[in-house]
Amino acid sequence: MAPTILYIACVLGGLGLYLLVRGGGPERRGTGPIKALGALLGLAALAWLVVGASDALAGEEGGRPEAFFVIFSLIAVAAAVRLITHTKPVYSALYFVLVVLASAGLFLLLEAEFMAFALVIVYAGAILITYLFVLMLAQQSPDPRKPDEQAEYDMNPREPASGAIVGFILLALLSRMIFEGSGELEAPPVEEARVAAWRELARMPQRVEEYIAADVDGEFELVWDGERPRLEISADGSSAAAYYRVAEGDAPRRFPLPAAAMPENVQRVGLGLILRFPVSLELAGVILLMAMFGAVVLARRAMELGEDAKREAAQMRRLGHHDEPGEPAGGAGAS
Amino acid sequence: MMTTLAQLESMTSLTLAHYLIVSAALFIIGLVGFLTRRNMIVMFLCTELMFQAAAIAMIAFGRFHFDISGQVFVIFILTVAAAEAALALALVVFLYHLRDTLDAERWSELKE
Repeated sequence: MAPTILYIACVLGGLGLYLLVRGGGPERRGTGPIKALGALLGLAALAWLVVGASDALAGEEGGRPEAFFVIFSLIAVAAAVRLITHTKPVYSALYFVLVVLASAGLFLLLEAEFMAFALVIVYAGAILITYLFVLMLAQQSPDPRKPDEQAEYDMNPREPASGAIVGFILLALLSRMIFEGSGELEAPPVEEARVAAWRELARMPQRVEEYIAADVDGEFELVWDGERPRLEISADGSSAAAYYRVAEGDAPRRFPLPAAAMPENVQRVGLGLILRFPVSLELAGVILLMAMFGAVVLARRAMELGEDAKREAAQMRRLGHHDEPGEPAGGAGAS
Repeated sequence: MMTTLAQLESMTSLTLAHYLIVSAALFIIGLVGFLTRRNMIVMFLCTELMFQAAAIAMIAFGRFHFDISGQVFVIFILTVAAAEAALALALVVFLYHLRDTLDAERWSELKE
């Protein structure tokens, strides 16, 4: 793709985002058309980018990106734009759930099924609920008599112009680099992916043994190539076979493995996690534990101060102090 | 259904760049949001958006290079995101109790 097209798309996108972010406070009338114009500009830039990218990358065949990819990525980007432009933070959080769902769809297209569902469970299920709880705790209307009124800091953004300019200069540079660099990397054929999955099976000798034991009566042992069981994988990855012998010195017998023996995504992720990154796994656990401690410590300090103040206001001075009425209650607890 | 999706995908001309562009766009939108929004909770939401973009890039790289460690890395990204959310939200609640507002501008001067 010609770089000028790319830059024009980025300028359009930046302009559209600026108009959307600028939004309008209650004093700014007639922002509806401006926002619509911004949305239109942003969509045009995005469509231009997608179509141009597919034209440039597909080469002479003139193929179009697959429908699922376009749908998921459009949903993700549009929801992300709504996330940063919506003036009500609760809606922002809900739009983030939409972003998470759309990118889980992208993960499915990338054959990362486990991560797709883990993303939905962890992000949409756990993290977003925490955000919503905090929003309910802290988000308040500035005037208690008008619960629908929004806070001034939600209506008026901070420096939208420079933010959009900086962001889209970065986007132009990034996308130019992507197109010039690794852009030609084609999607690998499905056969190659299957062969790679079968190769992972060689790291799981026990699994191979279980499949053979289901069909072979009596004792047997696997035939090994060095440290791994010998596997024979067909060139298109549709089938594989292991070798075993019943008695010492026998000729190896061939055992065709069923298609279900091919390691699935979850098994491969788990194997990679345990075999290649055991220390990082432990560190991740430590990080989570420390985060939990940190959150408890931070939250508890705020609660304690509140409780002390409440006690003093309610004059509950006798709590735990029978003989010294002069000493303020709770003074020993606060540090 | 998943295999059909995957098979469909491998027959088309989707390249790594498509996924990287989406990832870059999400990251930039998150960045602009972080720079422009003043509500502290929404600012942290925008950092989560940037994590999301990084995760898409990781998984795309892993898929196109036949390396499962892309997905393993996303597990660690999820861990860090969860830890960050817990700590950041505790901090936000703490700051909210101090000044009774979520406006980040109120904290622009660290002295006082």
